[in-house]
Amino acid sequence: MSPKKSNVLHAISTTISQLQLPSGGFPYQVGNEARPDSTAWAVIGLSMVDTPEFVCEQGRAYLQQHQDTMGRVCISPSHPQASWPTPLAMLAWHSSPKYELYEKHASEFLLAFTGNHFPKSDPSIIGHDPTIIGWPWIADTHSWIIPTGMAILALQVAGLGAHSRVKEGQAMILDRQLPHGGWNYGNTSVFGKELHPLPECTGIALQALANDTDRQDVEESLDYLLKKLPTLHTPISLGWALLGLGTWGLRPSQSEELILKSLELQERYGPYPLPSLALLSCAANASAGLRSLFELSPVPHHLSLPQRESFV
Amino acid sequence: MSDLAHQSKQFGISRREFLVASAIGGGLTLSGFSLFQWLKGPPLAAQTFIGKATDYQGDLAGLMRRGFMELGIHESAVKGKRILLKPNLVEPHQFSAHINTHPLVVRGAAEAFLSLGAASVIVAEGPGHRHDTLLVLEDSGLGDVLYEDRIAFHDLNTIDGFTIPNAGGYTNLSTLTFPRLFQEVDWIVSMAKMKTHHWAGATLSMKNLFGVMPGIYYGWPKNVLHSEGIIQSILDINATLKPHFSIIDGITGMEGDGPIMGTPIQAGVLVMGKNLPAVDATCCRIMGIDPHQIPYLDQADQWLGPIRDSLIEQRGETWHSVQAPFQLIPEIPAHQNIRLG
Repeated sequence: MSPKKSNVLHAISTTISQLQLPSGGFPYQVGNEARPDSTAWAVIGLSMVDTPEFVCEQGRAYLQQHQDTMGRVCISPSHPQASWPTPLAMLAWHSSPKYELYEKHASEFLLAFTGNHFPKSDPSIIGHDPTIIGWPWIADTHSWIIPTGMAILALQVAGLGAHSRVKEGQAMILDRQLPHGGWNYGNTSVFGKELHPLPECTGIALQALANDTDRQDVEESLDYLLKKLPTLHTPISLGWALLGLGTWGLRPSQSEELILKSLELQERYGPYPLPSLALLSCAANASAGLRSLFELSPVPHHLSLPQRESFV
Repeated sequence: MSDLAHQSKQFGISRREFLVASAIGGGLTLSGFSLFQWLKGPPLAAQTFIGKATDYQGDLAGLMRRGFMELGIHESAVKGKRILLKPNLVEPHQFSAHINTHPLVVRGAAEAFLSLGAASVIVAEGPGHRHDTLLVLEDSGLGDVLYEDRIAFHDLNTIDGFTIPNAGGYTNLSTLTFPRLFQEVDWIVSMAKMKTHHWAGATLSMKNLFGVMPGIYYGWPKNVLHSEGIIQSILDINATLKPHFSIIDGITGMEGDGPIMGTPIQAGVLVMGKNLPAVDATCCRIMGIDPHQIPYLDQADQWLGPIRDSLIEQRGETWHSVQAPFQLIPEIPAHQNIRLG
């Protein structure tokens, strides 16, 4: 790691640490109240650098306080349907033995939770197969790429990568791959027109498929992201693109330069929100993808749940 | 649609008025007096302004100032107000000027409001399809303009919300959650793009307000709203939020398979007004679309505003004089039988 990069990462972790609120949680940005998604990202980002452990533990405790009896972690108590932060909380808890049971409870929720799925209709209207089960952003809505990719990642890290839900989620992601490569939020074509790929969705999808998918099945998506990468400067697209390519051993040599350039963009747009900073920090540290950060941690044995035949 | 909403819509009166009428109506029917006619009063009417603009390089702020004047919006109405401009940035792609509200239209609006004494102008959007809002700003070119003009931008997808009762009643949602930022502004201005839409027929200032609903509560692409029904959600959001003004970028619009995959069409107009259904109905007529065949406009008629031609006073150009029929796709159900006769 270059001295410049090291200094920048230290500055990011310091910035994130300083945002911690008395509740132990972290806000989306300065001046906001703490939120579960931001708190989970803060813990994930900080746990890989030299941060005092109590900072992360207080963040994990905040997340535990926001886990409901079903095991989910929602964006706010007033929006219990918005349970999409649950995989992030699982990742934040994973490195601490104290939170194994909470991670397990969350994994049980995820394995039982899915979106609305419906019979396949006229393919000239909607191109993808809506019967293949994944995960939604919000309960009682359809499954899409980002929440499915994040659920798969959290379950893999929790030692449940072989579960049938993970396999079907990966099948869903493959079905939603655009014919010319890449992914968008989760539609392939509407009224016969192929839609455009998006880098952040493509990075998350590639990460969710790594190690379980033949490279030839995603070759065009890798090509798309490699070609797109030099043009990406914003933290979400760049961060997920680097993590997605990293899981396939394709992290380019100019990654460090791109991350530093992205951080410079704050001069134009102002300070990045906390999740964006944490994502860039992860992208800088996890050259082999986000999952690689957690593979160094032992997988708790109790998380090896039995396979379910039916999960709908 | 709920029964109550449907009934009140049938009579063109509000839900509250319908409840009052239900309570006292029986005593008056024998007298032969038309209670519903009494409650309705004169039909809603509105004014819209159509200004010609052949391209984005002209004096758009000047054209908008003229529009304000024609619409009777003077300095006294704007002075000291905090203005939020909400452009349409659903899924920008580089070199695709027909998808999004053009950055120079946003700049023109900011200049026009500030010239009338607005205390502040900010820009805010929660892109429907994109998680990376900064990339949306970059790809759309809006980031350059906002940076040059030092105008603040807010990502509505990630802002904490405040929740209020749903005033529409068309969806099953009892409440709607809007960005807290809206509690800190005086005017919400819907700055839409003039486009066809493959689910809604046309997307204009009312549909543009999907973008104000935070993704953290409604998902990407606004999953809850799609699940509840696009038409119903448009009506509920507009009835509850009560936006203050509309400016439609019809200089370059999108015809065919909108809102993303269609093709550019040079309609050469900006359309403005205080009443969103009236502005949208006027845009439809410019596009060669019958607004009564656009379900959310038909439902909004005489509830949220007028859409009948006779009740919309045109300022600036007439819609007849600038009409540029947008291509419709016969295979798309929402495009069938909507052509203006």
